[in-house]
Amino acid sequence: MLRKTIALSLLSASLIATNANAADKLIVSTWGGSFKELIDKAIGQEFTKQTGVEVEYVTGGTIDRLNKAKLAGTAESDVTFTTSHVGWLYTNDGLFEELDMSKIPNASHLVDQAKLSPSHIGAWGYVYTIGYRPEMIPEGITFDSWNDLWSPELEGMIAFPDWDPSHIIAVSAKLSGTDAEHWEQGQDKLKALVPNIKAFYTNDANSQQLIATGETSVQLLLSMNAYHMMDEGVDIELAMPKEGGVLGVDAMGINKGTEHADLAYQFMNIALSPEVQANIAKINRGSPVVDNAEVDPEIAKLPGMLTTPAQWGATLDTDAKLRAEKTAEWRKWFSENIMAH
Amino acid sequence: MTHRPAFVPWFVLPSVLTALGLMVAMLTVLQYSIRAHIPGSLDVGGYTLSNFQDLYKSIYINAFVNTAWLSIKTAFFGLLLSYPLAYALVRTRSGWMKSTILIIAITPLFLGEVVRTYSWIIVLGNSGFINSALLAIGLIDKPLQLMFTQTGVVLALVHVTMPIMVLMLATGLSHIDPAYRRAATSLGAGPVRAFLTITLPLSLPGIVASLTTAFAWTFSAFATPQLIGGGKVSTVATLVYQLGFSSLNFPFAAALSIVGLILTVLLLATFKWMTHSLQRVGAH
Repeated sequence: MLRKTIALSLLSASLIATNANAADKLIVSTWGGSFKELIDKAIGQEFTKQTGVEVEYVTGGTIDRLNKAKLAGTAESDVTFTTSHVGWLYTNDGLFEELDMSKIPNASHLVDQAKLSPSHIGAWGYVYTIGYRPEMIPEGITFDSWNDLWSPELEGMIAFPDWDPSHIIAVSAKLSGTDAEHWEQGQDKLKALVPNIKAFYTNDANSQQLIATGETSVQLLLSMNAYHMMDEGVDIELAMPKEGGVLGVDAMGINKGTEHADLAYQFMNIALSPEVQANIAKINRGSPVVDNAEVDPEIAKLPGMLTTPAQWGATLDTDAKLRAEKTAEWRKWFSENIMAH
Repeated sequence: MTHRPAFVPWFVLPSVLTALGLMVAMLTVLQYSIRAHIPGSLDVGGYTLSNFQDLYKSIYINAFVNTAWLSIKTAFFGLLLSYPLAYALVRTRSGWMKSTILIIAITPLFLGEVVRTYSWIIVLGNSGFINSALLAIGLIDKPLQLMFTQTGVVLALVHVTMPIMVLMLATGLSHIDPAYRRAATSLGAGPVRAFLTITLPLSLPGIVASLTTAFAWTFSAFATPQLIGGGKVSTVATLVYQLGFSSLNFPFAAALSIVGLILTVLLLATFKWMTHSLQRVGAH
């Protein structure tokens, strides 16, 4: 009898321990590589320090993770990081919980551009701008304006991301006197850029390889990736055209049906604390999305860093919902009219 | 009379389940191809044939032609390079040589297509191995543009398909009875004539099988055309990725996939029909 009692007690204790472990783990869906490292270093470790709860990461591409979330039906992760416009797809398809902002007190300091939808908010900002290898471009070329990309001297030198043409579409629209919503007016301008396009890169690793080897000496680059490459020893300079960089905001949301909603809210609140936001700027040059983060002045003055309302306001900001709705149309037009030539 | 053990039919079960899984996947793709795309959502709308209408545009026709042409070139050059290797693998009597050829031939299989393709980016680049070597020996005075061209894509694809072609050709060659060749040489045929009249015809089934495999494999290749082509070499697979996964227009990507699949089947059927008589020559 005693042996049975002891065995039952041990079994119960192990079951309780297992349940406690399952509950004490927050699953975060994110990109791999430097972005996963950033989230872990800046947010995950601080979250574990404050709550004692471990963070487990599931990584993958933006669209792969969106598809998996859609197909899974149930929440396989608790918090998801994605780009602002893809966050709208999660929202539109009911894959994110509507946020109770009272549980994210630090969100009261969010800049307007990071208040994305009732279900997702910004985690950090960046710009897409012109990155180049200074010793590999023709002498005298500068990038004071986006118009400089159209210089005949840059024939066959530029690379663009192949998964999202929204940035260069927004630029072409701006240079044609309009905005992304009326992007058709910029089509001819964009077509005129074709001779200067050498290739389209598939992912960050591909972008890094092409610019590091000098295969494409000018790229439309995500500022955080450019700084990551600089840290790895690639000789790149980042230009800031007078029309402004194309704003990007990476966002976070809580997966619908999560059993760890309270932990997820705590995680998001920690992510928006001024200290964590300043650390994001320090680690990967991500711009704080709250207005009370104190960024090291040496970092704040770097091209692409957004630390004042004026800097945020000077970017080319395409509404994330519009991007989500226009992505397919833009991508198809871009394939047919730009990539096909 | 022999009794078949009762458990034997169960061996077929995994194949049946796999076939069923593939069939369900294909039916899903087919179903998607006739549904409307809803901008800003992953859900699809009502039934429509409009996804197939745009496929008449020159970009999509060019992608089909490009893909077929790339597949033909890859299969052809793959055969030219793989046949001597397979022949040496089968004919050499040295165990050391056999092992060396086998290792050279199949090692790329263990690397995976993406790793191999990234390696080719380094080899084909302006400052890569090929250009550096040609510049060093003075054959060219400025780097050849190999990246983002069909030539570069074919080069890398040949490397991707070679291991499997070598193995298939070697299997075909090893089934040829050496007595036929010995008989030919004893009747006065030289090595070249014996090869052209005995070995080559008898190896035709292996040649056809390896060409077919290389063609079908290349037709669906994605990572190599995507990374080496850099968006400048459009194929059916890269367009499916661009339009489906990048722009979330799954219905249109599904329509493209269905037409690509039909085209592959038609081309392979045509190839089979064209080589039917050749294969009979090789049946021994």
